[in-house]
Amino acid sequence: MKEQKHIKRRFILSAVVAVILILIAIFSHQLAPHDPYQTNAALIRKAPSMEYLFGTDNLGRCVFSRVLYGAKTTIFATFFLVAISFVIGTIAGMICGYYGGIADNILMRLADLMLAFPQMVVAIAVAGILGGGLMGAMIALGITMWTSFARLARSHTLSIKKAPYITASKLAGKGGAYILCVHVLPNILEPVLISALTQIGTTMIGISGLSFLGLGVVAPEAEWGSMISEARAYIQIAPWAVLYPAAATIITIVVFNYLGDAMMEYRNRH
Amino acid sequence: MKKQIAIRVIELILLLIVLSLLTFALMYIAPGDPAEKRLSSQGVAVTREVLQAERERMGLLRPFFVRYGEWFVGILHGDFGISFKDDLPVAPKLWNGLQNTIVLAMGSLLLSLLVSVPVGIFSAVKRNSMFDHIARILSFVGNSLPNFLISVLLMYFFCIQLDAFPIIATGSLQGLILPTLSLAIPMASRFTRQIRTEVATQMDEDYVVGLRLKGVKEHYILLRNVFHNSIGHIFTIVALQIGTLMGGSVVIETIFRWPGIGKLVMDSITARDYPVIMGFVLIMGTIYVGINLISDIVNRIIDPRVEW
Amino acid sequence: MKKGQKILALLLAGVLSVSMFGCGQTKQAAGDAKEVATETESEDNILRVATSFAYPSLDVHKEYYGWYTSIYGISETLFKLDADSKAVPFLAKDAVADGTTWTITLNDSVAFSNGEALTADMVIRNIQRIAEINSRFDIFGTFTYEAKDDKTIVISTGDEVYPTLKSDLASPEFGMVDLDHTKDFDHNPICTGPFVIQEFIPEGDVTVARNEHYWGGDVNLDGAIFYYMQEDDPKLLAMQSGEIDCYNSVSSAALEVYKQEPDKYNVTSVAGTRLQFYIVNENRLDDAVREAITLTVDKDAIATYLKGTVTAASAPFPSTSAYSQVSIPAVDTAKAKKLLEKDGYTLNADGIYEKDGKPLQINIAYYAARSLDTVAILMQEQLRAVGIDSVLTVEEDPDATYISTGDFDLALYSMISDKCGDPLYFIDSTLAKDAYYNVGGFEDAKCQELIEQLRVETDIDQRAKLANQILQIAIDDHAFGYVGLFNHTTVMKPGVSGFAEDSPFDFYGIDANTTK
Repeated sequence: MKEQKHIKRRFILSAVVAVILILIAIFSHQLAPHDPYQTNAALIRKAPSMEYLFGTDNLGRCVFSRVLYGAKTTIFATFFLVAISFVIGTIAGMICGYYGGIADNILMRLADLMLAFPQMVVAIAVAGILGGGLMGAMIALGITMWTSFARLARSHTLSIKKAPYITASKLAGKGGAYILCVHVLPNILEPVLISALTQIGTTMIGISGLSFLGLGVVAPEAEWGSMISEARAYIQIAPWAVLYPAAATIITIVVFNYLGDAMMEYRNRH
Repeated sequence: MKKQIAIRVIELILLLIVLSLLTFALMYIAPGDPAEKRLSSQGVAVTREVLQAERERMGLLRPFFVRYGEWFVGILHGDFGISFKDDLPVAPKLWNGLQNTIVLAMGSLLLSLLVSVPVGIFSAVKRNSMFDHIARILSFVGNSLPNFLISVLLMYFFCIQLDAFPIIATGSLQGLILPTLSLAIPMASRFTRQIRTEVATQMDEDYVVGLRLKGVKEHYILLRNVFHNSIGHIFTIVALQIGTLMGGSVVIETIFRWPGIGKLVMDSITARDYPVIMGFVLIMGTIYVGINLISDIVNRIIDPRVEW
Repeated sequence: MKKGQKILALLLAGVLSVSMFGCGQTKQAAGDAKEVATETESEDNILRVATSFAYPSLDVHKEYYGWYTSIYGISETLFKLDADSKAVPFLAKDAVADGTTWTITLNDSVAFSNGEALTADMVIRNIQRIAEINSRFDIFGTFTYEAKDDKTIVISTGDEVYPTLKSDLASPEFGMVDLDHTKDFDHNPICTGPFVIQEFIPEGDVTVARNEHYWGGDVNLDGAIFYYMQEDDPKLLAMQSGEIDCYNSVSSAALEVYKQEPDKYNVTSVAGTRLQFYIVNENRLDDAVREAITLTVDKDAIATYLKGTVTAASAPFPSTSAYSQVSIPAVDTAKAKKLLEKDGYTLNADGIYEKDGKPLQINIAYYAARSLDTVAILMQEQLRAVGIDSVLTVEEDPDATYISTGDFDLALYSMISDKCGDPLYFIDSTLAKDAYYNVGGFEDAKCQELIEQLRVETDIDQRAKLANQILQIAIDDHAFGYVGLFNHTTVMKPGVSGFAEDSPFDFYGIDANTTK
């Protein structure tokens, strides 16, 4: 029982930190001491000071404010992407699992295909067609991401497909859509949702990785991956412009991964 | 079983055809012109007439399906085509890059396994010991580090702060160390976590408890039974990582300028060098799907109960 | 705060190094690597250079490969562009034009590295080979050539006069190759330069050795190694660790590092020919807005941010050249505001001008190379300060997107403005009717007429005068803005000299006088 309590404490602790991070992201505009887009020729690459906590970058912009704004970009883009993939994946997985047959075969082959697809090619093509921006990176990641939710939802649907309450519902003349929404969805939601939570960290890694390669965010928008990539060129003379966004990235990913882990463990014990 | 494998191989081929068609279509609709990229590679302006002539010469003005068909027929004859960037044959380019990437990928895979297998097993056996706690924290943090960040930080500390590595080392053994580490740190962390979980689950199984009650020695149980039963799962875990490894190597190779296939494809995407990109997709798709197939077969040999 | 940062760095380092437990052998390897590095640094007379490009072939006439054979000191051209962008004699003594006929006289002593003399016939066959295999020089296929004697070539340019022939022949693609004895054009062309190829790795490092039979006399260096390094930071690191002796196109961050230690690094900088400019879309923006943009964009401020890598430009060419003598209005934001107000714009609550309830917002298209991303961000800031709002659109491939569709209000672009010491090429690509880069709707009958004159004018002074007039028309129309010219910046270890550090062009490197 002691361990039970321990796990609960871990879960609550990480949830609190995660909520704090989300609040920082939401209120980044109020918290930022400076305009993160304001360039200043007199303040190029200044070391951290009381005025500029994390120093300034190549264009004299406040790194602290940019890290705060970057939190918003990174965290919300991640949430949005995970949510969309979750919805699409769950629906596809439920349909495959419930109806089976050709639709199932085609969708699952499609999922295989997407996994083997090179993300960079997708990211560049989408960015080229839609004119750059975060959308290209998100679609490139989403293309492979929904498949894992679909697989999970499918296997859980398969396992409850033959359950008595579903057979009963079928006999009562209820349609497939009704059964999926009322009986299947609530029963498979929890494991898929938890899987979504554990995907947040990975997704953040993916998004910042693509924008590091210049395939995500458009200048001058603040995003950690692109800030690191930009500041890498002058890391010798202004390491703060790399180290602070790097620290922010690591901390955020660690917190969300920890939350996912704790959640997983918490559930496994019950 | 032979029949099953045959079906899977046919599926694989169909998959690759669809994959190549999709890639070709994507590159076709994405803006970008290999002829223009080539003519202005030094930043000199092009003229309309020269550009049009170059497109004609490179065969870019022909319809989509003619171009795809030609490529496809070439592939059937084992011909990957000619690079748009410099008129050199694509196959040796891909082959050179692939060799370098395999060296990098295998190096980091080996390093990861060397670290994670003993650490993971020991962690699981000595659960909640000091060692276990430290290993879990480190593997947790390592698993949360994006590999581009590891590369940047490693480069900063080792090359700039410590001045420990020569800069001109591309393709040599010393040049291999940092990219290998960048790939291996997150992978070793992931393996350690998964192996620990897997072994820990096995240790709690009834048969282990039974063997213990019979008085069989602990290390004997571990080697004879637990490890034997875990190996299939560990193999699957490793196989699933190959895809991630190949994807990750694009970033790492770009940062460290390692002349692998990932760097080659990034350069080719920038130059709109379609034949190289198509070859890349084909090779990567084959590797990815092929490894999954092999892992399924191996799993089935180890444990005949596994379903297809 | 410095302390806080150190702690952070230590923390990150800690995380990383602890994550690497269990790989002690790598430390050993690191030690070995260090030793190898110091060994190669021994004092020899071999220059080590970093280059940003590496091509798969050394065929002087194909593609842009000749740029690099020229940098490697392998190939030489009939004429050479000097520091003032003027074509001066090199392998040839002189070129004289008489209407559509050019007469070129070769230097008597010129010989290939195998001892064979360079003949008029060989030059003609070289030119014809270029016309055949390099689509950018198709026009040379329409000329007729005649070897009057062993050292004299007569070129007839057909019906049209061709005034830029001499400077075209100074392009590195026109490097002379011994076509009779060269067996492998891609890997080992026989040329006239002070160096010959020793080892060539396609798309990799290149090693050259002294040409013992150099026609021009003694060669200082024993040889040189060109390391292929695409990115900026490895070049900086290699320079700091002493693994290379010099390189050019130094980044602004690296420049700052070098300037802190002037006794260890010798930095020279001359205005180059790589231009950053913007095209204003006349089809979408009316005169007042265009003029307001011209009056607002502060090129000097932009150059300040780009610290030493760019010189603010007034014309597309270095200010020293005879054909960049134009006048541009000074930055005057008050006047810009006045112009907009006169045109019916009023400031709204956000501090942005609007007309008929529509805020003034322009679309700035750019691509993230050649510091254009920085220019875009700074221009956006400057425009916002006077009340012009803007959105930035980044494209991966400008030519396939906004340059070909014309879908922009203001488009940033970077290209080489002068490749052979003559203004026609740039004017013809950007200002002439239907030119590839004239995509902002600029059209002016007078300007077009002057361009037609420029095409056939043979007198150099007169050409410069025409060019100045043409550029002035475009500037007065607020159709283009010339933001900055990249400096040709070279860093060298003390004692190194003669690495084309005075040349504004990117295609020169080592020669007989280069010393280490």
